[in-house]
Amino acid sequence: MINLQAVNANVSRVPFFRFLNFEVQSVDSCHAETEMTFVERHIGNPVMDYYHGGIIASLMEATAAIAVHPDFADVPAKPINLTVDYLRPGVKGSLYARANVTRKGKRMASVSVTTWQTDREKTVAEGLYHFLLV
Amino acid sequence: MSGIAQKKIEQIAQMWNERGNGLITHMALEIEEVSTQGVQVRMPFNPEFCVDREQTLLHGGILTALLDSVFGLANFVAIEGVSTMATLDLRVDYLRPARSRADVIVRAHCFRKTRHIAFDSGSIWFDGHENAEIARGVASFALTRGDSSLFDALEKGDPS
Repeated sequence: MINLQAVNANVSRVPFFRFLNFEVQSVDSCHAETEMTFVERHIGNPVMDYYHGGIIASLMEATAAIAVHPDFADVPAKPINLTVDYLRPGVKGSLYARANVTRKGKRMASVSVTTWQTDREKTVAEGLYHFLLV
Repeated sequence: MSGIAQKKIEQIAQMWNERGNGLITHMALEIEEVSTQGVQVRMPFNPEFCVDREQTLLHGGILTALLDSVFGLANFVAIEGVSTMATLDLRVDYLRPARSRADVIVRAHCFRKTRHIAFDSGSIWFDGHENAEIARGVASFALTRGDSSLFDALEKGDPS
């Protein structure tokens, strides 16, 4: 059983995770869900107040790393690479991410992540992230 | 380079630097070089973008965000009459740990443009270590073209 409070305490110690402004809502041995609260520094398109694509990808990477290694003490899991498919603009408001560890071996993990806003069916972006575990 | 192109480039740089808010402003990006062949941008070290308590290791996400931003700039420079642009997809390889307090340098260019789509690639390294790339990325963008180009809006009121 993973202690959610302990995970969020670790999250709050990572400077960039504080910058992203998110909280872990649930976590188990192969999943993690997070909620990011919109702040001005997340804006990519100042005319429309859309999320910056890089902020969306960053939340996905953070959520994926937590799913791979929820009890990280110092630095989160080491990312190797990622691909992201942007499906809809992320508008002002909360953004949710769910990471699912598809495969976790001795050296590598593969994680798929999806993000949405008010409707879970309306995916904002989805991605595939690889992590090095050694 | 023709005078017109140079003027456009200066205006794009000005437009980019004068955005009042958002992530690009927060990253404090400085444009170092702009041409239709590509762009080079500097991001000063910022401890907020680190993952470790010592604040020397950058999070991959900020490198991804940097590539996405600079691809946008490369597209505006390389393509005439872009009205809006949306990232379709993005792939990033993290080539080594981004451990340094040096400024980050990004070079990006649009290597293929069609009516609807632009294809970009770019590299990131720490200032002074160009032969030790920390990340490389490729992305594709959906373009809309029209009269309401961002650049045209800037041009308005300019008699030349």
